[in-house]
Amino acid sequence: MIILCEDDADQRLALRLALELAGYSVREAANGHEALSLQREQPASFLITDLYMPEADGFELMNELQKEFPATKIIVISAGGSKRSSNVLASARLIGADAALQKPFKVTELLETLEALKNR
Amino acid sequence: MTPRSVHLRTHLLLLLLAALLPVAVFAAVTGHLLAQEQRETFRKGAEERTLALLTAVDADLEGVIETIQVLGQAESLASGDLAMFRLTALRVLRLHPEWSTINVARPNGERLMDLLVPEGRLLPPIQREETSFERAVATQKPVIGDLALGPTSKRWDYAVRVPIVRDGAVQYVLSAVIEPMAINHLIEEQNLPREWVGVVLDTSDRIVARTVDPEGSRGKPASQSLREALARSPSGWFRGSTIEGSPVYTPYRRSKSTGWVFAMGIPSGAVDATARGAYGALGAGLLGALALASVLALIIGRRIAEPIASLASATMAVQGGAWVAVPQTSTVAEIARFARTLQQCLDALRAREEELRNADRHKDEFLAILSHELRSPLTALTTAAHVLRTARQGDSSTAEAQGIIERQTRHMVRVTEDLLDLTRVRLGKLTLKREPMNLGELVSEVTRLRREGGLAARATVNVEVSPVWIEGDRARMEQVVSNLLDNALKFTAASGLIEVSVRRDGPSAVLRVADNGQGIPQESLAAVFQLFVQGEPGVALPQRGLGLGLALVQRLTELHGGKVSAASAGVGQGSTFTVSLPAIEPPPELRPSTPDLPRQDRESVP
Repeated sequence: MIILCEDDADQRLALRLALELAGYSVREAANGHEALSLQREQPASFLITDLYMPEADGFELMNELQKEFPATKIIVISAGGSKRSSNVLASARLIGADAALQKPFKVTELLETLEALKNR
Repeated sequence: MTPRSVHLRTHLLLLLLAALLPVAVFAAVTGHLLAQEQRETFRKGAEERTLALLTAVDADLEGVIETIQVLGQAESLASGDLAMFRLTALRVLRLHPEWSTINVARPNGERLMDLLVPEGRLLPPIQREETSFERAVATQKPVIGDLALGPTSKRWDYAVRVPIVRDGAVQYVLSAVIEPMAINHLIEEQNLPREWVGVVLDTSDRIVARTVDPEGSRGKPASQSLREALARSPSGWFRGSTIEGSPVYTPYRRSKSTGWVFAMGIPSGAVDATARGAYGALGAGLLGALALASVLALIIGRRIAEPIASLASATMAVQGGAWVAVPQTSTVAEIARFARTLQQCLDALRAREEELRNADRHKDEFLAILSHELRSPLTALTTAAHVLRTARQGDSSTAEAQGIIERQTRHMVRVTEDLLDLTRVRLGKLTLKREPMNLGELVSEVTRLRREGGLAARATVNVEVSPVWIEGDRARMEQVVSNLLDNALKFTAASGLIEVSVRRDGPSAVLRVADNGQGIPQESLAAVFQLFVQGEPGVALPQRGLGLGLALVQRLTELHGGKVSAASAGVGQGSTFTVSLPAIEPPPELRPSTPDLPRQDRESVP
């Protein structure tokens, strides 16, 4: 089971569809608060989250999640990674993300990452 | 040919030489004239003194003549009582110690009496100095004889002869023989300067008296230069030498009455010294002036050159990339002004550099934002494409993926158009197709389309519009409204409230878009319409959005002759954007028959 946390509605919708087609069960959240509520309702194995969102961003979410649910794997997806913020993904890994992908990424990449983490 | 550049102090020294050269020439000429005048004055003084002394000598000689004349009137002589006369003459002789004798002779030279020879002794006739005796007889006038060496006394003396005339004929010649010491005393009494030589000559230019070596020189001929001068002129001034050979200036004069001469030898050194003094004072003054001017030239040169040199090094430092303060202190007004101007120039340059650096930074930021702004729709698009590829035909996800693709494509088209339009505006290539249009209607239309497109799906949007007409480009005004609305949506939370209104305010049509979103910090308000500036630097990039929208709103509003402003009570207090455009009257055919009431439109999307 996956919790997908992404503020952009269309991206969220497209990713949910793609993950469901791959056989995953997906629950959506538009910000960190929503994602945390969902996780507390029923913990998921994976959290896929954007970093920059209004009202509780990805960093806050990861912080809380790691404290409460250390078993949940975290995959960060971010559009950060331009010249001035190339260290965004690296810092996400540093603070405990299991994987980080830079937007736009191929869906197969995301699926492979999930497979790899599942077997770990 | 490039003129050779030399130091400022060299220029100043040249200047001062140019100024002093005429002064030096003038001084030399003046000095020469002054020296000449001084010499002339000196000469006149010396000549006057010569005349005075000669007059004294003449007076002395004339005194002797008078004395003899008085003696010649003696009764005893007239009556031929020579014995009696002898006694009278002896008394006179005693009164004149410098007189060696008095004698009486007949015109033929027969001596009748001589006080040196005892009475009754036979006397030799007058032999010596015949010329003076002959002259006295011939002219019947007193004669002063030249110096002669006494045959018995072996001493130099001279005779003063006075003819005693009776009934038109010379009866006797009465003579006094006088030693020249009296003349010597006379000139010594004048107190001539010690180095000066005073000399008295007889008619044949032999020395009668002399202040220097009176005994040794007596009877000798005068110096050759003096004799030559006397041959030329009875009085004058010349440069010659004494009988001893010392160089002297000599004023001289021959008496018209006695034929005797007085001359002075003034050491030429004493005369020339006065001229030398004048020259020396002038030269010293000139040298002093030159030295003073040189020192001043060096000081002034340094005062000018040093600040210029430090300005030059400051400029060099700036060229090397360092911002140094230009030294501002100079006592030379022009240099101080130059320094001020240079400082202003550098300040402006620095400001411009800062501006360029800022613009560069903004450009970098803009590229970062742009890249983010393109990555988000690309993520949605690539994912939707994956869904289309993997989903089975007829699956509901296919339709949803198609919707995503349509919306995101439209969004990307708009971002691209905004970019292009901004570039066009900046290059002045954007032309408006203006026509009368209802701004209220346009705003209603745009908000409706947004809702249908689902992009305004995050907040409650209240719309309150009146039909207000403007002269506008419909497509451009649509961009203005869309961008303001999108901006409000972007920065307002799901529970937020956005209020859009259009109304007429005097001559203006006013569009207002207010939200209760995250607001704008006071210090950023002025900059929100600038290209590439997005909100607070501390705020994460994606939340700041793309600054293109607001920049384009401002440019397009200005092209329509309007103004746009932003207001916010602060962070978290929401923002209000107001666009004012010149309003026009609605076209007659479109004017409503009944006044249009403000249309209320409220829709809340969860």
